[in-house]
Amino acid sequence: MPNDVKVNHRIKFLAIICLAVMAVFVMRLFYLQIVEHDKYIALANKEQLKRLSIPAKRGEIYMMDDGRLTKVVLNQTVYTMFVDPAIVDEPEKVKDAIREVVGGNAVDGFSKLVDKKETRYQVVAKTVTRTQAQLIKKRQLKGIGFQAESRRVYPEKKLAAQTLGFVNFEGNGQYGIEGMFDKELKGKNGLLQSVTDVSNVPLTIGNKNIDLPAQDGRNIVLTLDRNIQAYSEQALARGVKRSGADSGSVIVMDPNTGKVLAMSSLPTYDPSKYNVVTNAQAFNLGAVNNPYEPGSVMKTFTMATGIDTGAVKPSSTYVNTDYIKVEDRTITNASKGETGTITFQHALNWSLNTGMVTVAERLGNGTIDSKARSTMYRYLHDKFKLGELTGIEVSGEAAGRIIAPDEADGNAVRYSNMTFGQGMDLTMVQVAAGFGAMVNGGTYYSPTVIEGAVDKDGQLVKAAPKPAQPNVISPSTSSQMRDMVIKARRAFYASSDLPGYRVGGKTGTSQTIVNGSYENGQTIATYLGFGGDTKPRYVIMVEVSGKGKNLAGNIDAMPIFTDISNWTIDYLKLQPQR
Amino acid sequence: MERLANRARTVGVTMGVRKHRPDYSIVLYMGLLMLLGLIVMYAIGPQRAQVLNASYDTDFYTATYFFGKQALSLALALAVFFLVTKIPVGWLQAHAKKIFLAGLAACGVLAVSGWVGAGIAKCSLGACRWFDLGPLGSIQPAEFLKFGLLVFCAGFIAHRAQAGLVNDFYKTLVPLGVIIGIVAIFVIGIQEDMGTGIAILAIVAAMMTVAGVRIRVGAVLVAAALLIGALMIVVAPHRIERVTAFLQGDNASVTDASAYHIVHAKIAIGSGGLTGVGIGNSVQATGYLPEAINDSVFAIMGETFGFVGLVVVLVLFSALLLSLLKVAERLPGLPEKLLVAGVFGWLASHVILNVAAMTGVFPLTGITLPLLSFGGTSMVFIAGALGLAFQLSSYTVHHSTKEGERYEDSRSRRGLGRPRYASRSRM
Repeated sequence: MPNDVKVNHRIKFLAIICLAVMAVFVMRLFYLQIVEHDKYIALANKEQLKRLSIPAKRGEIYMMDDGRLTKVVLNQTVYTMFVDPAIVDEPEKVKDAIREVVGGNAVDGFSKLVDKKETRYQVVAKTVTRTQAQLIKKRQLKGIGFQAESRRVYPEKKLAAQTLGFVNFEGNGQYGIEGMFDKELKGKNGLLQSVTDVSNVPLTIGNKNIDLPAQDGRNIVLTLDRNIQAYSEQALARGVKRSGADSGSVIVMDPNTGKVLAMSSLPTYDPSKYNVVTNAQAFNLGAVNNPYEPGSVMKTFTMATGIDTGAVKPSSTYVNTDYIKVEDRTITNASKGETGTITFQHALNWSLNTGMVTVAERLGNGTIDSKARSTMYRYLHDKFKLGELTGIEVSGEAAGRIIAPDEADGNAVRYSNMTFGQGMDLTMVQVAAGFGAMVNGGTYYSPTVIEGAVDKDGQLVKAAPKPAQPNVISPSTSSQMRDMVIKARRAFYASSDLPGYRVGGKTGTSQTIVNGSYENGQTIATYLGFGGDTKPRYVIMVEVSGKGKNLAGNIDAMPIFTDISNWTIDYLKLQPQR
Repeated sequence: MERLANRARTVGVTMGVRKHRPDYSIVLYMGLLMLLGLIVMYAIGPQRAQVLNASYDTDFYTATYFFGKQALSLALALAVFFLVTKIPVGWLQAHAKKIFLAGLAACGVLAVSGWVGAGIAKCSLGACRWFDLGPLGSIQPAEFLKFGLLVFCAGFIAHRAQAGLVNDFYKTLVPLGVIIGIVAIFVIGIQEDMGTGIAILAIVAAMMTVAGVRIRVGAVLVAAALLIGALMIVVAPHRIERVTAFLQGDNASVTDASAYHIVHAKIAIGSGGLTGVGIGNSVQATGYLPEAINDSVFAIMGETFGFVGLVVVLVLFSALLLSLLKVAERLPGLPEKLLVAGVFGWLASHVILNVAAMTGVFPLTGITLPLLSFGGTSMVFIAGALGLAFQLSSYTVHHSTKEGERYEDSRSRRGLGRPRYASRSRM
């Protein structure tokens, strides 16, 4: 065998090659399976693990309806209709179906979209109802699909639109309750994680499968009473129209609890069509979002401060003039001629600025000195909580501002103006809540719109009451203030109210500040008052304004108050007192 | 007993060695690998069945369908294995030319019937590789051709080598080139089966190596083969894709369609870790990894049994390959040596190409992992080839025990090439 030598070396050679290759394989496997194991586990998870988010149901919103719950914001499943033009085989029939069944919801130029043969997905109609979807499905056309989504539905249309807010296209709450409680309303989406096969069929392999149920959002119950809300909106709309104004706000509160019974503003909008709103002001809830100078309604706070500190009594007298000088400024009364020795009750009735400045002077040592100013600040800011956030549960609450006496601007002139409601920035909800404390016996209740939540069984779970602050003013002061505002109202408008009820109020006509100075050609009308039987049952504050409009509290705001007040007495079935 | 003695004489005439106890380690390693393959079929059969049922919208495939079919293939393969051990090698050598021509003819019939569109040719993506035998399944004639080439080339090369013409250009290399060229036309050209083509080259290369081809000639031949291989890659777009996917290495993206197969093979292997996810827990087999039960079974085993399992598989293959080489080394006759070397080349090329592709060290070639992959034809013919080697292992000569502990090569054994149990009858 001449080749013997070579042969055996050759076989060894083959064996060495074979073993070398195997060694390379083992090293390679060590690298893949041990060194890079984590990387491939991650890659495997990316491929094999499918996550499915189970959408949580957004919480629904309720109002009170004479003590019962009523849904005002609810969810509805609607469908986005799409076509796959590539597999549509009867385009004309598809177009007919869209036109005939969902015509109003079809997108513009849908028939062109159906003809786009080279595409695979074209949305042809939005917010299609279940019934419409079923009608189309009955036609058994190829290439049509529906995608379910949840949509907010407002059975009461525009009712309390600004308080409710809306849910935008991305599903986020905007403005109002929807904005404030977006997280609570959203709930927590569930997670379904499963190892699946290549066609997404879940497998029971391994321990990576997760099934977390969705936690539905909280169902929120508002303190708003649907009927009071509806009536006050109508009354406001009537009043604003009567005055030729373009905007207005109203808030109705229960002074004994701080609960807001109604709250709305004009202009308003339809939350189901939030996307067509052109004036962003429509989203604003005036009573919470827009601070302003309330004007003469603040005279009640000045009187309450004077009485509670013992500086004045309603029957105390002073010598009134049409003008009063504070430092270098002259303060003028709107109603002139009420000169001579008069009572503070008379000054309130006639809304005399000079009388209020006099009260402030009596808080100090005859002038609006630092003692007078700090007393006023203590009452307005610390006790009646004006010029700071009330914590009302509506998004975008404005704090407003009261300038403290130790600030550079907190001088005597400023504080003299504040006695009749100028030189301060307040929201209506602050003023109405403070006024509630003034007339309810002296307890300050933080204003709230949250009655509670609805649990799974549909039962109301009441929210914990907010801490109240008693003895903001003494019960005696409160009682005297009730008398004063009732008298102030009856001095001119005794016949407006239903007989046998205690209804009081104060007008306000405030100049607006345009470019830093008071503009006399545009005034805001305000009315602040309460009504009740043996005790105050409601506080109503109304504000009406219009660009370039001179509106007066007694002419433009007071009738709206009267309208709501008289209706509310009936609605609350208050017993007339003899 | 008389028949056995007769055959022993028949073979003995060729080899000059009397039959003795065969090398049972071949059966052991083969059997262990087959059992492993069966376990894997049992483990991933349900997943595979579900994938197929879902894609064909049927419930034809049961959870044990693949296990059952594999068991059947194994039974058939074992039957062929033992049949081949009984067919005298001399007879096969005598009819080598006919067997080879029959293989070529089968491929020719397949090509023609595929060309005219006859139902018997089973084609996919334009490549017709199978005869469809209806309820009997399908058969791949290329495997038969491989077997035919094995026995034919072993005889041819041995004949030339014994005449000292193994490096002769006209007498050996050209005819061999023509043979390989014809086979390549069928296998690579018509059936578009690069894997089988490489396996055939490997069979011939292993034989030529053992036959003692000069290193320079061998190097030229390897270079020529590489050149032709490169040409084959360039002319076929899907091969270019596979090579580019391979060249991206471990950074290839899952979303890249051409790299999908290899990336998922690596995910399967890599996610197996040290000890694997365990039997029945393979996720890659649920449709992510293409060809999970046949060409990609190594990757699935990596996922299921981990690093430990794959090393065991590689060790078993190495042991089997080395015992083939041991048999080849100890066979006294060159034709038989070359036969076993060819079997080695066949088995080694399949194992190496498959594992290399699955681990991303060589571009993807569609080639089965012998004894483990699902599929009858490949299993049967590999078993047949191993049966050949097993039969020949009965005719090895052993080292002389007379000349001490030192390992001896044939040089020291010159003239002693005598079996332990038999007297010399020739040489």
